Amino acid sequence: MELIWEGCGEAFRLLVDPDPLVVDAAVRSVWISLLAVALAAVVGLPLGTLLARIAFPGRSLAVLACRAGMAFPTVFVGILCYSLFSRRGPLGPLELLYTPWAIVCGEFVLALPLIVSLTHGSVKALDPRVGETVLTLGAGAFRRWRTYLSEARIGVTLAVFTAFSRCVTELGIAMMVGGNIRGRTRTLATATALETGRGEFGRGMAMGLILLLIAMGVTVMIVHLTREQQHGNSQ
Amino acid sequence: MIDIQGMCVRKSGRTICSVPELQIARGGRVSILGPNGSGKTTLLRVLSGLERNYEGACTVNTPIRDRVYVHQSPYMLRGSVGFNVTYGLRQHGISRSECRRLAGEWLERFGLLDRATTHVAHLSGGERRRVALARALILEPTLLILDEPLAEVDQEGVTSITSALDVLRDSTILIASPTSIPSSLASETYQLTMPDGD
Repeated sequence: MELIWEGCGEAFRLLVDPDPLVVDAAVRSVWISLLAVALAAVVGLPLGTLLARIAFPGRSLAVLACRAGMAFPTVFVGILCYSLFSRRGPLGPLELLYTPWAIVCGEFVLALPLIVSLTHGSVKALDPRVGETVLTLGAGAFRRWRTYLSEARIGVTLAVFTAFSRCVTELGIAMMVGGNIRGRTRTLATATALETGRGEFGRGMAMGLILLLIAMGVTVMIVHLTREQQHGNSQ
Repeated sequence: MIDIQGMCVRKSGRTICSVPELQIARGGRVSILGPNGSGKTTLLRVLSGLERNYEGACTVNTPIRDRVYVHQSPYMLRGSVGFNVTYGLRQHGISRSECRRLAGEWLERFGLLDRATTHVAHLSGGERRRVALARALILEPTLLILDEPLAEVDQEGVTSITSALDVLRDSTILIASPTSIPSSLASETYQLTMPDGD
């Protein structure tokens, strides 16, 4: 219990008088996750809509694969990316290993199945009259796709926030392909693990709490959006 | 314009709609009458191009883009009345100012001009139906297909629908209804019978 209080005190101190190293790690965590989720959204939103609206052979298998991907252990994704980016790996010549870009790639792999699956679920759950209405009003394929996403916007936003929440708090990928290099690839999650490993429990706990604050902020937004969705489902 | 010969729709081995013969000329106004379960909605869905699994011959000499179908219980897209009414126009590349002008005209015809900025979640059932009709009629389609448009509509609503439909002089209009509808809305009638069900 004493450890928790010590951590809370240290977290409060770091929030009031920020340590440049912690700020650096926090900012890096956020921009890496934002970039990874943005890229995953660009690919995942059309893919999720496609899976929900277009029937093709192997669709069920693709949906199943994406759902299974939601439960990918971050360490597994880390190992996968490490084998791709290591010197002997197929992407070794790009020299991305131990750079923030490698973490972005790993988190992209982590976020993509989440965004595809949740978008697929949201679009699939839309009233069948949506597709028929926009079709009969003359919408082409691209505009229909935009309308599906717009009608399922709460669920789609939820998908993006959930992916961000998972990415910003992950440790396995950042540790495996980032290497926890101070000033270059250190994120809040790897810094927390490092401080705790060094016996700096208070400091580790403080960083963990800051990470928790970021994740909680996103969760509050998710809850708020879910409530809005319930109010909006009146027709 | 429409020519049906021995058209039949089956679902799960059961006949849900059967039309031995039906011809409708361009500009015709036909009411499709029949009891619940006689296949009125299915017939309209076939004619609008939404239902493609049927047996027999069904020819509609109008591109799907020029056919507009209004559901029995229309779906309102999230947004304002104005957004819904102009949705189809925007898909057809009509300019924003022209969309606004036409929306004003059609909303006025349906007595909804003061509701243009209202979110659809705040509309009554009858108002939703009128918005859906305005959203369809504003496109002035060659073939307009309405599934029970008079349900939940009061006498004033029927009058506004009748006068709004009068604007579409060249359109072919099909109106499904379980009971007979005013002759001002449709000049011809096609009676659907209950399918055999085998």
